[in-house]
Amino acid sequence: MDLGTTLGGRRFTFRSIKEVLAKANEEKSGDKLAGVAAESVLERIAAKEVLSRLSVRDLRENPVVPYEEDEVTRMNQDSLDAAVYERVKGWSMAQLREYILSFEAGEEELRRLGKGLTAEVVAGVCKLMSNLDLIYAANKIRIPATCNTTIGLRGHFSTRLQPNHSTDNVEGITASVFEGLSYGCGDALFGLNPVNDTVASLTEVLKRFDEIKNRFEIPTQICVLGHITTQIEAVKRGAPCDMIFQSIAGSEKGNRAFGFTSDTVREAKALLKEKGTAKGPNVLYFETGQGSELSSEAHYGADQVTMEARCYAFAREFSPFMVNTVVGFIGPEYLYDSRQVIRAGLEDHFMGKLSGIPMGCDACYTNHMMADQNDVDNLSMLLASCGVNYLIGVPTSDDVMLNYQTNAYHDAATIREILGLRPITEFEKWLEKMGIMENGKLTPRAGDPTIFTAGR
Amino acid sequence: MSTIVSVGIDIGTSTTQVIFSRITLDNTAGYFSAPRISIVAKEVFYRSEVCFTPLRTPQLIDGDAVREIVAREYRLAGLSPQAVDTGAVIITGESARKENAAEVLRKLSDFAGEFVVSTAGPDLESIIAGKGSGAWQYSIENDCSVANLDVGGGTTNIVVFRSGETAAKSCYDIGGRLIRLDRDKVIQYISPAAQKVAQEIGLSLRTGERADVDILRKITGRMASLLAEAVGLKPETPLLSAVRTPGSSLPERTERISRLCFSGGVADCMENSRAGTADEFRFGDIGMLLGRSIREDAALSAVRRVPANETIRATVVGAGTYTTTLSGSTISYSDGIFPLKNVPALKLSYQEQQSFLDGSSEGLYEKCRWFLEQSDTDRMLLAIPGRLDPTWQEIRQMAHGIYQALSRALPEKEPVVVVVEQDIAKALGNAMKQEAAGRRPVAAIDSIRVEAGDFVDIGRPLMDGLVVPVVVKTLLFG
Amino acid sequence: MLDERTIERIAEEVVRRLKESGAFPDAAPAAKEPPPAAEGADLASPEQKAIPLLENAADPEALLRMKKRTTARIGVGRSGPRLNTKTMLTLRADHAKARDAVFADVDPTLISRMGLFTVQTQCDNKDTYLTRPDLGRKLSDDAVRQLREKCISEPDVQIFASDGLSSTAIEANLERILPALTEGLQAKGLKLGTPFFVRFGRVGAEDHVAEVLKAKVVCVLIGERPGLATAESMSAYIVYDAHIGIPEAKRTVVSNIHKDGLTAVEAGAYITEVIEKILQQKKSGVDLVK
Repeated sequence: MDLGTTLGGRRFTFRSIKEVLAKANEEKSGDKLAGVAAESVLERIAAKEVLSRLSVRDLRENPVVPYEEDEVTRMNQDSLDAAVYERVKGWSMAQLREYILSFEAGEEELRRLGKGLTAEVVAGVCKLMSNLDLIYAANKIRIPATCNTTIGLRGHFSTRLQPNHSTDNVEGITASVFEGLSYGCGDALFGLNPVNDTVASLTEVLKRFDEIKNRFEIPTQICVLGHITTQIEAVKRGAPCDMIFQSIAGSEKGNRAFGFTSDTVREAKALLKEKGTAKGPNVLYFETGQGSELSSEAHYGADQVTMEARCYAFAREFSPFMVNTVVGFIGPEYLYDSRQVIRAGLEDHFMGKLSGIPMGCDACYTNHMMADQNDVDNLSMLLASCGVNYLIGVPTSDDVMLNYQTNAYHDAATIREILGLRPITEFEKWLEKMGIMENGKLTPRAGDPTIFTAGR
Repeated sequence: MSTIVSVGIDIGTSTTQVIFSRITLDNTAGYFSAPRISIVAKEVFYRSEVCFTPLRTPQLIDGDAVREIVAREYRLAGLSPQAVDTGAVIITGESARKENAAEVLRKLSDFAGEFVVSTAGPDLESIIAGKGSGAWQYSIENDCSVANLDVGGGTTNIVVFRSGETAAKSCYDIGGRLIRLDRDKVIQYISPAAQKVAQEIGLSLRTGERADVDILRKITGRMASLLAEAVGLKPETPLLSAVRTPGSSLPERTERISRLCFSGGVADCMENSRAGTADEFRFGDIGMLLGRSIREDAALSAVRRVPANETIRATVVGAGTYTTTLSGSTISYSDGIFPLKNVPALKLSYQEQQSFLDGSSEGLYEKCRWFLEQSDTDRMLLAIPGRLDPTWQEIRQMAHGIYQALSRALPEKEPVVVVVEQDIAKALGNAMKQEAAGRRPVAAIDSIRVEAGDFVDIGRPLMDGLVVPVVVKTLLFG
Repeated sequence: MLDERTIERIAEEVVRRLKESGAFPDAAPAAKEPPPAAEGADLASPEQKAIPLLENAADPEALLRMKKRTTARIGVGRSGPRLNTKTMLTLRADHAKARDAVFADVDPTLISRMGLFTVQTQCDNKDTYLTRPDLGRKLSDDAVRQLREKCISEPDVQIFASDGLSSTAIEANLERILPALTEGLQAKGLKLGTPFFVRFGRVGAEDHVAEVLKAKVVCVLIGERPGLATAESMSAYIVYDAHIGIPEAKRTVVSNIHKDGLTAVEAGAYITEVIEKILQQKKSGVDLVK
């Protein structure tokens, strides 16, 4: 295994595959903060060149977190499809990239391929892709999943309706749900980020979601994104719940910092099978984001793209209904500006799809980042054009609880109209019944939340 | 989390009831915020039987007998007076107008120890019943306007809630015991209001005569249609104002009502009267007939009905669970200053408070002196709006002006108490403590709204002293 | 050579004589200018935001009620599938306020008016500050020197202010909270440290401050990451016996200090009591019994 190269007349040698992976990354402030980034642009390209010559086996056999120390590595290594791996293990990373981009590799081939790749391989090939490569490759792949309805089918584009409220007031949350529905949002999920992570508060909101879903006969899913243990307790005590959520990291240590292990997720899944309100089989929801491992010092000296790929390896073990990266939320010390955010969004989406998980994205930014709403517009269009399962929708792009900006309720209808994409079919039929949508376009009645309260 | 026990005592025209409820308080603020103590749960854990209100004469409540009832219910509930933290006594309906209401209250006050004693005017009573029946909660949860009609023995208390806001309130002398009969249907009593209704439709009623059921039906039918007028479902006739309970508000006609909720004893009769006519006079009054008339009234039937959580107990449950509010959670007070009971409030407007914002006290002192004279009292508290986001200098000056004026106007040792709407009480109270330098107790509590003429009860501090329970009363006897 | 103070005195004297001569009028009083004419209604004001832009709602009253129940921007209507112009501009205005709060410096005249001096962390510009939180937690060598020179040592309580992620928050609240806090603590007979201002500061800088000044309790008043609702929110982070590397869980936090949250004077009174408790119990953060 040769970890050195000469480029532009300069000699570069790297000490480990972990270092090659890190330095091959496109520029990210988080890698600089971690002290693992390339020190010059040329060193970055040199690392990419070395990476392109490494084999799939090299990367599989050198996980960035040791097998013995970490259950994420173990789960990933132990569940690999042996037949697929045997076929590709001798390929160089350059070959792997070219195969993924080739006309021979169709949707079925790529879905099968992903099953034989570890997170490090997925991350490695990502680092060799340009933005348009990432878009092109990801667009080949669709990963559908079914809870009450089926998300991620080709030609469809969904939204999570995120009706957050500064104090979890259910009436205020309801008002926001009605506003979102009136714009055709919410086919993926009604999903609230609660202020109060208590069983009582989660239950109250879940009950309201359930009531709205049933009263208006809306074909969708409901979830309140408290801590996984709080949600488990709420479901045990009888709260209606289609899906259980958790933020995940790419190492066991990171997950422990989030307050759970894989056993907790297994418990949640089993519980929903027994007491959940959804048909399934996909009943879990995960969120990720580059940099979260470093923020809990659980990155083991690896770069944030590789750690992110490991989140997807963890997620796929549980066949979730939805997974999304919250790509601009973590702050400028991890993703400095919109350029880095857009790159990360495309990387995460591609890596998620190749890993075989139903991938969405929260295309967002905080107010201390070099980004604004135009950047969310850009990233949303890019992701929708490569077949992202869903984006987020909040009132007028301003989330009053998380204090960040993401997609507006308005954006889903706009993107659908431009790209000819449709909501989940049952949901579209419901929108038509309510007079909100016709032939895939909003009607004049759309945008009025009081159509759900009039005459009451 | 902590729990307090609240008592509700309702002494109505015809019935007297007692309930005990458990009110759970918790800090609902996040870990990173200053505390915010809220009421997170309410549960009625003891309900007395519905007793007839003991009367000495048709006009006089038998205070001693009421006291015995209350004492018995405490015993049955297994509670000592000291175990009860807060609550309210409500003397409702025609009874409240009876001259001995104050005496009855005194008897209970002595007996019941710490808890808050108050009486309601007809308006407050309407709101309390509407909260106790569940109409208020329904209007919030369903974002609609609900009229609650609490039809009792002597009066019907009406409140309209629009999404939790009180949109209108009124009270009429319409009830199930306005005409009372003996076993042989001989009329024993006709209230003045019932007489007016009879006169209007040209029927004659006399005590001592055997009642004609058809005539009684016509009278209750007319009463039902008056209720429809009162909630704006029919054009108003002159008779409506003739039967309006003295002291109640005029109904406001701004609200389109989308739901009706009936509570009070007659609400039960509405249901029971479906069963048939077997024993329409089993209570010796016209309650069953009135219930049936309300159920059959075309205008009232046209509006969707909300089932009441409480019917005959709506007022007592409301009194026991909804009259106590909490102060803000950052307040300041001298040790041992609470409880304070029945303190009259001098309310200043935003303009009026300007007079002491610069630290001067003369204008405020004059106002306080005048208020104490007018109210013929030697105690008071000051209720002010306060300022949004004041500077520290302004707080110091405000504290100086208030303390100087009140300590001059009040007798020695009387506490200086301020109730302020804006959330600035801890800063203001601490500054007042410095002004007082231990010479007399002071307190500033916030997030409470008090109107001119209100009386305020402030209970002992709860939740490690973070909050105090407060009952603001709009009317007081005696 | 003239020293600064002498120059200032001369300048003051010149200004006074010019005023007396009527050469220029007194500066306008601090009161705000009257608002511009109606056509310039402030898009970012709460009054304007309360107006629903959605026309022909099925139930206009319900729409107003809905808007009252959430601060979320609902009932905004649309142009085709997109935002109306006013909605879009309001959003951008709020974002601009938030961005300016992060990237602007605290007005130096405020700092000198309050009698504070300024020191810096190891960050030398906003960019470094935003991307290197580790450097924002360490005082520069010059800062350490200045603290040793100008501050009293071993105080019971060391209070200081820092820009953090919102200079606007410091400008809105510091003048109100600091005297409330200082007087409150002095009234309790505590030995107060010399207050100052830390530029480019993260919360963790207080650990370094505590070590340098040997303070029993250190309390930083720092600007919070601004949201669109307010850019004026400030927090206080209080630690007992802090040292570099102390776990985050040892910090007691009072957040959301601004005119629509916990007002500054009230926060000052509340924090005074929190600090008193911390000194009594000799612990802070999750260990503190509130």
